[in-house]
Parts: sequence; structure tokens; C-alpha cells
Amino acid sequence: MIFTKKTGSAVTASTGTARLSFLKEQSIKTVFFFTAFFAVIVVTFILLFLLRDGYPIFSQVGILNFLLGPDWAPTAVIPLYGILPLIVGTLLVTLGAMVFAVPLSIGCAIYLSELASPRTKKVLKPAVELLAGIPSVVYGFFGLIVLTNFIRVSFDIPTGETWLAASVLLGIMALPTIISVSEDAISSVPHEYKEGSLAIGATRWQTISRVLVPAALSGIAAAVILGIGRVVGETMAVLMVAGNAAIIPEPIWNILSPLRTLTATLGIEMGEVSVGSEHYSALFGIAVVLLVITLIINLSAVAILRHLKEGRAQGPARKPLISSAAKESLARFGEIIGIAVLLIFLLAAAPWWLAALVLPVAGGWYFGRDRLSQNQIQMIAFGLVGLATVIVLAILVIILQDIVVHGLPALSWEFLTQPPKDLGRAGGIFPAIVGTLYLVLGAIAIALPLGVGAAIYLVEYTREGRITRLIRTGVDLLNGTPSIVFGLFGFAFIVLYLNVGVSLLAGQITLALMVLPTVIRTTEESLKNIPQSLREGSLALGATQWQTISRVVIPPAVPGIVTGAILSIGRAAGETAPIMFTAVVFSSRFLPDSVFEPVMALPYHLFILATNVPGSSTNKYGTALVLLLLVIGFYSVAIIVRTHFQNKARG
Amino acid sequence: MSDAAIITTNNVNLWYHEKHALQSVSIRVPRNRVTALIGPSGCGKSTLLRCFNRLNDLIDHVKITGEIKLDDENIHAPSTDVVTLRKKVGMVFQKPNPFPKSIYENVAYGPRVHGIRDKTELDRIVEDSLRHAAIWDEVKERLNDSALGLSGGQQQRLCIARTLAVEPEVILMDEPCSALDPIATAKIENLIERLKEDYTVIIVTHNMQQAARVSDYTGFMYLGKLIECGKTGQIFEHPKEELTENYITGRFG
Ligand SMILES: Nc1ncnc2c1ncn2[C@@H]1O[C@H](COP(=O)(O)OP(=O)(O)O)[C@@H](O)[C@H]1O
Ligand SMILES: [Mg+2]
Repeated sequence: MIFTKKTGSAVTASTGTARLSFLKEQSIKTVFFFTAFFAVIVVTFILLFLLRDGYPIFSQVGILNFLLGPDWAPTAVIPLYGILPLIVGTLLVTLGAMVFAVPLSIGCAIYLSELASPRTKKVLKPAVELLAGIPSVVYGFFGLIVLTNFIRVSFDIPTGETWLAASVLLGIMALPTIISVSEDAISSVPHEYKEGSLAIGATRWQTISRVLVPAALSGIAAAVILGIGRVVGETMAVLMVAGNAAIIPEPIWNILSPLRTLTATLGIEMGEVSVGSEHYSALFGIAVVLLVITLIINLSAVAILRHLKEGRAQGPARKPLISSAAKESLARFGEIIGIAVLLIFLLAAAPWWLAALVLPVAGGWYFGRDRLSQNQIQMIAFGLVGLATVIVLAILVIILQDIVVHGLPALSWEFLTQPPKDLGRAGGIFPAIVGTLYLVLGAIAIALPLGVGAAIYLVEYTREGRITRLIRTGVDLLNGTPSIVFGLFGFAFIVLYLNVGVSLLAGQITLALMVLPTVIRTTEESLKNIPQSLREGSLALGATQWQTISRVVIPPAVPGIVTGAILSIGRAAGETAPIMFTAVVFSSRFLPDSVFEPVMALPYHLFILATNVPGSSTNKYGTALVLLLLVIGFYSVAIIVRTHFQNKARG
Repeated sequence: MSDAAIITTNNVNLWYHEKHALQSVSIRVPRNRVTALIGPSGCGKSTLLRCFNRLNDLIDHVKITGEIKLDDENIHAPSTDVVTLRKKVGMVFQKPNPFPKSIYENVAYGPRVHGIRDKTELDRIVEDSLRHAAIWDEVKERLNDSALGLSGGQQQRLCIARTLAVEPEVILMDEPCSALDPIATAKIENLIERLKEDYTVIIVTHNMQQAARVSDYTGFMYLGKLIECGKTGQIFEHPKEELTENYITGRFG
């Protein structure tokens, strides 16, 4: 009796509330749609505002004169706005960085995927991730103090701030991206190829070099393109070591010449320009050019990777993106370029001892390789691959130990709890620590709901279609946007147009936009890992979609979401360019009273100490160490959360 | 067995971690004959086969004891050069695994890695191998097309051609027809028949008709042990062991 009564009441209740609950489901879905569409809106706004402020220079000077004009002299009596030297500078720095980073990365990727034992791998992969976690201003600081000095002394030149320094430093920064994406590509080559090759009696090295690497070539290409994107969009590090003369090197291969990139120009001049002037507009013009370049780069990498993923899902019958004939000519072309670059470098810049070392080895290899047995070639190759890995590790160790050894003496209770004195030469960095925490916490508070909402919409509410493709493209574009462009947008839109002023809030919003793609992606990943059967189980019991999502799907995804959030915090904490014009002051004795006041921040403090305040060596290193520890601390927490919950899930 | 042996194993044991996958296996594989290994799935056929070219080396935590000889050389001795061994003992896998290269490059790969550079020589080897593997007529017009565009049966014959191109002495085949349709299977079986003129073939199959059709000798394995091995006719008609008889007559699955 009781049973029937209950059923009856449930049915009556449902006719009454069905419409209401339908409305509720619809409005929830609409909210999620808007969070997802937000990325597209932001990208559109960025483009619009950059174009709006950049337009005057295009119309006055003309696009071609702007792009191809040979002189950048915005403060001359008769100002000249030609950005050719800046474009060339960007290209040269990128080229040099790739010459440095690609061989090292691919060597290291081969070592990680094919030679390292599982235990070595467990140590090496976090080390590479650590390299990715070092903030760019810390790289710049290291480059400025150690690398440029090393170059100055070894080449016996007046200053080490050169193309070479910028390329090496940016090459180092690109290493983790290229290594991890190529390692992934090589590891996902089907195991059967390897067995097939070994079963014919090919050596391990022949198998790697002739089957595995060629099969992974598209993935490796995408890795390199992503690395290029990273280098082209980098501001702080390059600004600190490139010398920044807006000239085209003379002769063009003179790697000991200073030069200036598009990003560095924005970083240097944006702070001093008067709003609305021709010069101001020219800087936004540069930002447009920069944005277009990086968007093309990143979208092509994304396209390649997506093609690969789909190809894998649909089995091997699909045509490879690069035909085998093209691959061969590519390899030959690469060989010629490599030799040319090496020769130019040796003739133009290298000290004689390097030439004396390299030329005989290269010559010996070229003429002697036919006489070596396959086993000897394998030994040499494995030696080189191991050497690449050792160099990557050594770079990490050198940077860390330099900063830790010099920074530790500065750390004291006073340093951590006092405001700076004497332009930061004395006193502490307390307001900067607090400012950075305010900035990143505010940023994540804004980005988390938007990002999680977007991910839920993408995974739970839609099938793949035109809308999701548009949203995904928006997220990809946002992800590829250089941080300095966020800085300019934040300044033009939030600080000026919305009249928020240079303030904590403006910085938080700008950083939030920047980390939004990371939040969306990590959340998407963890939602996709929830088995479909859970959703079906819940829906089959008559739960609504929102009930299913909120009670069944989200709870097990929380660790993944939290991990993504902490990673985003770490990333935001190390960024300088987005907050440089939107949120920070160099020196402040006080903490902000409201979100409408500017704050101090660690990365910016380090940047100013390193570039503008001579004789504050201990405090510089101390600041760098605190920043490094803070960022690495966030990353470690993220990794611990991840592994903790992974282990728990396994039982 | 009367024919001269090319591979002999003596008391071979193999462990994956704790799992004792091969237990005291002693077998003689006669030269220029087709030997079939049959037995229920999971009994260790592939494992035994992969001992013959040391492909088990690729797997972590594998322990092997006992003696495996190719002619008179112990192939699991530390001094053995696996590359030379694998040149002599080729392998065709269960799932066709052509490289993502052109048809020509797939076959030329082996000779190339073994140092042949001369173009006319390579052309000759490629053509001979493809003819020998009975696929030449189907692909001669499109040698430069990707091998991944071939049908499954064609891919498998291409993989056989690829193996032949390095002129091995022994060809190991691990269920080479299990992913193929009956027509493609028939083509491969005909091919195996002709291969034994020049090569020793060891074929793993769980299809007993196939073993009966193509092989001269048959070994029956069960739970990691080689139960019995002899002339195919004898194994199928007068098995000595009851286990073998039960398996052949389908009394267990
Ligand atoms: N890489 C491996 N690691 C652990 N166990 C394995 C591995 N490969 C095979 N085995 C186990 O060894 C036994 C024999 O496997 P296998 O030789 O593949 O059998 P068959 O080919 O006869 O079906 C099976 O029980 C299988 O589970
Ligand atoms: Mg098997």
C-alpha cells in the first residue's frame, strides 16, 4: 500500500515540476555555453582592441612601409616607424634558438623514449618539467648575469648581450616543450614497427633512425613548431640579454651582434610611451604583427597534432601528412642547412679552438662513416644521444645551483617580512610576495569558474560540431597568444577603456585570461577520463543531466581540476609581461587597501632589480630564489595532488 | 625425427616476472621443413618462437635458462650478436606490420640496413623478394605507393617479402593468417609450401587444419610445456599423449 502511494505521489509531483526542471536544465546549459564561448569573445576583443589602437599607424605610414621600413626610431626628431629590423631580429633569434635546441631536444627525446630505463625516466621527466617551470624572468636574470658574461669572456667582446646570448637562452627555454612533445611522438610509434625492424636484423640505432624517428616525424615537426611559438612569444628573457639595438646584424650572420625582437620592443617602450600618440599606435601595430605570427605558428602545430591523433584513431590506412619523398628531400635539405649554419658559425664567430675541434671531427665523420661497422656507428650515436641528455640536465643543474647558492644567503626572516629599502638594495620583499599571491589567487578565482564551465560545456553538453570547433579554436588561439600581448590588451581594454586603472584587479583579470586555456584543457582531460558508464548509470536512474554532472561526473574529476588550477597558479606567479603595464609598481612600502590599487610583484621586482638597480646582487638573487621556490612549490603541490589521487584511484 | 636439425633447444625455461611461461622445453627443428607449433592460446607458442630470434630481449624482467642452438651456436650466450642472429632468423608477425614507407622502401629496408647501397642491386633484391612472396604482380605498378594502402593479405605477403630480402635461414611465423580472410590465407599457405625449398619455416597457429595442411612436423604445447613433437601425420593420426589426442579431437578448448 505504502509503495503504491509513494509511486503515485512521485508521478503527480513530476507533472507539476517537469516544466520547471526543464527550464532549470536549459538555463544551466545556457550558462555553461556562455562560459565556453567566453574564450572566443576574449580572442575577438584582443584582436579588435589591438587593431583599434594600431590602426592609426597602419593608415598613416602604410602597412608595407610599416612592415618593411628599415629603421625603427620612434623617438627621433623625425620619427621612423619601420619594423623590418625587429622582424628580422625575431626571425634570427628564433633560428638560432632552434639550431641550439632542436638537436639537443631530439637527442634527449630519443634517449627518454628508447634508451632510458623506467627508473631513469622517472627522474628525467620531472627534471625536464622543472626546466619548463622556471619563470622567464628568472631565465632572463640568469642569462644577464651568467650567460652574457660567459659569452663576453669567451669571445673577448665588449658586451655579451648579443643575438647568440638570446638564442641560447631562448633555446634553453624551448627545450622542455620540444623534448616532451617529441618524446610523446616517438613513444607512440606502434610497437610493431620496432619489432619488425629488429626482426630483420637492424641494429637498435638503425631502427630508431630509419623507422621510429621517420614515423614520428610529423609529431616532431609539431614539437619544433610549438618550440618556435614559445620563442617568438617570449618577452622578458630576450629583452634582458639581446642588447636590444634595433639593427639588422652586419653581416647578417654575425651572431655576436646585438639585436632586438618585436616582443622586446613592446616590453621596453610600452611603459614610457604617451597614450594615444603615434608611437603608442605603432606599438599596437607591432602587437598585431606579433599576434598574427604566433597565431599562424600555433594553429599549424595544433593542426598537425590533431591530424596525428585522428590518424591514430582511424587506423594506419590514412595518408601520412608528409609523403616519404618529401621526407627524404626534407632530410637532405636539413643536412645542407645544418652544414651551412655550422660553417657560417665557425667562420664568423667561433674562437679558433672550436673550429680546430669541429672541422676535423665533421670531416672525419663525412669521409670515414662508410668504414665504420654498424655497431660502431650505434655506439657513436648512443654516445651523442646520451651527451644531449647530459647537456640538458647540466643546464638545469647550472641554473638551479647558481640561483640557490647565491640566493640562500639573502634569505632571512627580515627579507621575507620587511618592505624594500633603498630601491630594493636593502630591506625585504614582503609586499612583492603578498602582491604576487593576491594576483594569482584573484586570477584563479576568475579563471576557474569560467574554465571549468567551458570544459563542462565542451565535454558534457555538446557533440563535436561547428560550435565546439569554433570554441576550441578560440581556446587554441588564446593559448598561443604571447603574454606581452595580454599585457597590452589588459592596458588598452581594462586599464584605459574600462577605466579600472593600473591596479590589482586589472592584473588579476589579465592573468586570468592568460591561464584560462590551461584551466579549460586540464578540466577537459579529467572530465574525459570519467567512464561513460557512470553517466549512463546515473541517467538510467532518471537523474537529470545537471544532477548527473554535479553528483556523478564532477566529484571524481575534482583532483584533476585542482591540479590544473595549481599549475595555472604556478604559471601566473612567474609571469611578468601581462602585469607590467596593468598592475604593478616597483616599490611600495604598503600592501594595497583595495583591488583598485597597484601592487608589487616578485617577477617585476626581480626584473627591475636586475636591469635598473646596480649593486643589489644579494637581494636580486634572493628575489630570484624566492620566486623560483614559490613557482616550483606550486608545481610540486600540483604533482603531489596528481600522484596522490592517481594512487588512490588504483586502490 | 630423421631430418637434420637446424635449431635445437635443451631444457629451456622462461619466466615473465614470476610467471613460468616455458617449462623445460626441448625441441629439434628440422632444416628445410615446415614445423608447426599448436596448442591452446596462452600456452607459450609465441614465447617459444620469440626465443629463436631473441625478440624477448625487448621485454623487461624476462629470465631464460637452458640452451638454444642455431646450428652449433648457443644463441642466448652473452657473446652472441643479436643483429647477426636476427639476420639469419627472420620473423613474420601476427598482425601485418609494414613500415609507414613505400612498398619499395619496405622491402629495401633490410638490405639497406645491412649495407647494400647499389641501386640496381637493390632493385633486383626487391623484385626477387616480391616475386618470391607472390605479390610482385599485384604491386609492380605502384612500388612507390605507401605500403599502408595495401589490403591486409597483401601487407602480410609484403612483410614476408621484406623478411626474404635479407635472405634468412629460418623464418618464424606467428599466426600469420589470423588477421586475414580465407582467400588471403590460402595464398599465404601456398607460399609457405614453396618457401621450404630454400628456408626452414616455423609457424605458430591455433588452426589445426592449417597445421595439418602446411607442416611436415608438428609440436603440441600445453601450459608452457612441449607435450609432444613429431611428423605431422603421426601427431594427427596416432598421437602418443592423451593430452594431444584430446586437443586434436577438440575435446577441450
Ligand atoms: N610480456 C609478457 N609479460 C608477462 N606475461 C606474458 C608476456 N607475454 C606473454 N605472457 C604470458 O605468457 C604466457 C604465454 O604467452 P604466449 O607465448 O603469448 O602464448 P601463445 O602465443 O601460445 O598464445 C601467457 O600466459 C601470457 O599471459
Ligand atoms: Mg601468440
